[in-house]
Amino acid sequence: MKGKKLLIRLAAVALCIALGAVMMVIGRGHTIYLDNKTLEDYQGQTYKAAHRIVITVDGEELTKLGPRERGMSLCIGQTFRMTLEITQEKGGQPETREITMKLPYNLDGIIVNLPAYLAGLPEEAWMSEFIPAPEPEEPDEEEPGAGDEFGIGEDLGLEGDVIA
Amino acid sequence: MKMKKDLRGQTSNFLQNNLVPIMFIAICIVCYPLAGFSPSYLINEIVTRMGRNIFLILSLLIPIMAGMGLNFGMTLGAMAGQIALIFVTDWQIWGIPGVVLAMLLSIPLSALMGLMCGKLMNMVKGREMILGYMMNYFVGGLYQLVVLYMMGPIIPIKHASIRLPRGYGLRTTVNLTNLRQCLDNQFAIRVQGVKIPVLTFIIIGALCLFILWFRRTKLGQDMRAVGQDMEVARAAGIKVERTRIIAIIMSTVFAGFGQIIYLQNIGNFPTCTAHTQIGMFCIAALLVGGASVEKASIGNVFLGVILFHTMFIMAPRAGAAITGNAMIGEYFRVFVSYGVITLALIMYETKKRRARSQGGALLALAQKEGGVQS
Amino acid sequence: MDKSERLQQTRLSQLVNTFGLPRLIIAGFLLFLFIVAPIAGADLPTQITNVFNRFSWNAVLVLAMVPMVHSGCGLNFGIPLGILAGLLGATLSIEMGFTGALSFVMAILISTPFALLFGGGYGLLLNRIKGGEMMVATYVGFSSVSFMCIMWLMIPYKNPSIVMAYTGVGLRNVFSLENFYANVLSDFLKIDLNPIGINLVIPTGSLLFFALLAFGMWAFLHTKTGTAMTAVGSNPTFAKAAGINVDRIRMLSVILSTWLGAVGILIYQQGFGFVQLYTAPFYMAMPAVAAILIGGASVNKASVGNVIVGTILFQGLVTMTPTVMNALIHIDISEVVRIIVSNGMIVYALTRKTEGGK
Repeated sequence: MKGKKLLIRLAAVALCIALGAVMMVIGRGHTIYLDNKTLEDYQGQTYKAAHRIVITVDGEELTKLGPRERGMSLCIGQTFRMTLEITQEKGGQPETREITMKLPYNLDGIIVNLPAYLAGLPEEAWMSEFIPAPEPEEPDEEEPGAGDEFGIGEDLGLEGDVIA
Repeated sequence: MKMKKDLRGQTSNFLQNNLVPIMFIAICIVCYPLAGFSPSYLINEIVTRMGRNIFLILSLLIPIMAGMGLNFGMTLGAMAGQIALIFVTDWQIWGIPGVVLAMLLSIPLSALMGLMCGKLMNMVKGREMILGYMMNYFVGGLYQLVVLYMMGPIIPIKHASIRLPRGYGLRTTVNLTNLRQCLDNQFAIRVQGVKIPVLTFIIIGALCLFILWFRRTKLGQDMRAVGQDMEVARAAGIKVERTRIIAIIMSTVFAGFGQIIYLQNIGNFPTCTAHTQIGMFCIAALLVGGASVEKASIGNVFLGVILFHTMFIMAPRAGAAITGNAMIGEYFRVFVSYGVITLALIMYETKKRRARSQGGALLALAQKEGGVQS
Repeated sequence: MDKSERLQQTRLSQLVNTFGLPRLIIAGFLLFLFIVAPIAGADLPTQITNVFNRFSWNAVLVLAMVPMVHSGCGLNFGIPLGILAGLLGATLSIEMGFTGALSFVMAILISTPFALLFGGGYGLLLNRIKGGEMMVATYVGFSSVSFMCIMWLMIPYKNPSIVMAYTGVGLRNVFSLENFYANVLSDFLKIDLNPIGINLVIPTGSLLFFALLAFGMWAFLHTKTGTAMTAVGSNPTFAKAAGINVDRIRMLSVILSTWLGAVGILIYQQGFGFVQLYTAPFYMAMPAVAAILIGGASVNKASVGNVIVGTILFQGLVTMTPTVMNALIHIDISEVVRIIVSNGMIVYALTRKTEGGK
């Protein structure tokens, strides 16, 4: 009987850990920056930016990119799906492509160079990490949101007297 | 004739037992025209606050059942929830998975703190509340030590959005941008401009059902027995200490969940101080709903949240309308919150003392009779 | 059992037993700070001056804990009530136009009836809820402080040096005592060694005033009423059997505590130089409670000696830790250390009582 109880508990703990692990995988968020930018001189070749790319994510139009423009999308999980409507030259016929890409787990911000990706180049050619600009010394911090606080006596009883 | 008297006795009894809610209904009725809020704004605010507060307040019910009074130590759970949220933010887990992960992470922390709190409370039976209250401040200090100095060098926190550039300590605000209202927005419906966070209410409903079910289980029955009379329960073979510790652990774990729900609604939190007033608020709201230190029901929770927060929203504006000074309204709601808790504590202690002296008198009588007989 | 007997044989553990382990650790830590301070580059006389000053500000507030502990009412978390009486005294004295040392005397005089009134009501209440004093006291303190927040805005004070600058309605959050009673006590018979090159200043007047009150307290505890108070605290049933009016004694202790709280805050203000209103009294109970516990008091036992030792240790810790820590590791964790130490001490004292007591 005791062994059974222990087993149930262990199973519960294992279940929690497993659930946590699953959450860590499916909940990892990424910010994806989609560039429509000419990739110069990659192994001697240049991949030109398209005239216009319309990006649709989850059935909603995210943005329209002209050359040298950047779009941004958030993605939870490691698989990013989008639909591109690419017009290579001005006045040309748009071509629609469904794209599913795998994202690396450890990157927060990912820059995707679309022309390079569409040309089917290897990953290191079209993917790079987005590194946020170094912050100023004292960044402006967002004010804490208005909870149900009184707004006075922030930490009641914690403070002693004013340091003179 | 007798029936009439009975009826009057009943009404006065009813009044006495529900003094606080009636008072609050009166305050709300007086404040409503003065504050001049539109009904839809008011209802929207109240529904939002119900969604974010009820879970926290429900966590208070189990220790009351076990006779341990108002669990001022629920703040420990809130701190555990915050630490879990900090990790989730650091690992950049977003959306509902982030909330679920935070809840899972908070369980061991909350359970540990609940265990500590429960053990100490077993050392001071009859004075659990003051101990829980002081534990807030003590553990609050430890929490600050962890968050301000140990996070970074000792506990790995790498994400630049929450860690200070100096290498240790967190920023004063933790942004939950990617968790913000992810529960509330899931399946949310709008009824005439009032947003109803359906998923949050489903979670709250689940906890209510759990509590109702739990009362019927063996453990729940044990808790009620311990709450009624510790010695009798012990004589009946219930492990009193263990039962009490379990009650506190459950409360702390639920408080941790509650804090996560609360903070995902708000969307960010002040790193060091988010938990400080939570206990006070929840307890005040519960008491406003007509609960007492030894008896509280789910109905009290819902009524309490509605009344307390209606007062809370309207008091500053109403105060400004009456006195021309908004600060007076602010102070008024502080005063009312504290006043309600004070009143409830006084009523509880007087009642306890009366019961004790009655018990003493009965015992003396019994002894006397026994003496005569033998 | 066997283990504890063996332990008691060594002198060290005897010391630990009489002095209490946490106290010993804190004292040791303070000693360590004093030794390290010069090495870390902090000026020792300045530090000692600071400790003296802080001691003189706070000691009376800590002393206010003693009567209630003695009569078994537990730690006076309701000290804000006394502080409010003191604040009323201070503001009314200034409002009436008193200045200088006279304003201090008047503040004490004016606050006295308030202290009696508040203390009386508070005592009546506490007599109805024996056994649950501390929790109720905490919240009585909180609700009265928040009630007085409203009052500070509503009472029609007129004196321009204390009302809000722009509107002229309601008292300021903080106002200076420059022209009133700042340092009136501490400048009395002040010993200042700065002329001979040592940064040591001893606020003799404040210390003497405290000594007077402390001696008064000590003497009072040895009068008939005082011993009755101790009897009520240590064994109410016995005291009742001995014909002592328990409720009256408890009431007396509460009034005394409240009055000392009122005087204590006035002395605190004269040292600090400012009057803090509104939410400030919220913060005053915990340090005083922590100080007396660090000094060796427990929930039901406290002496004047505990007050002195406790205030020195606690204030020493508060003043020394930031300077030394800053000098040593350039990280200021003193605030957190203080929170943990003071509240940890209170938790410790709360858990200890029933172990030994009942």
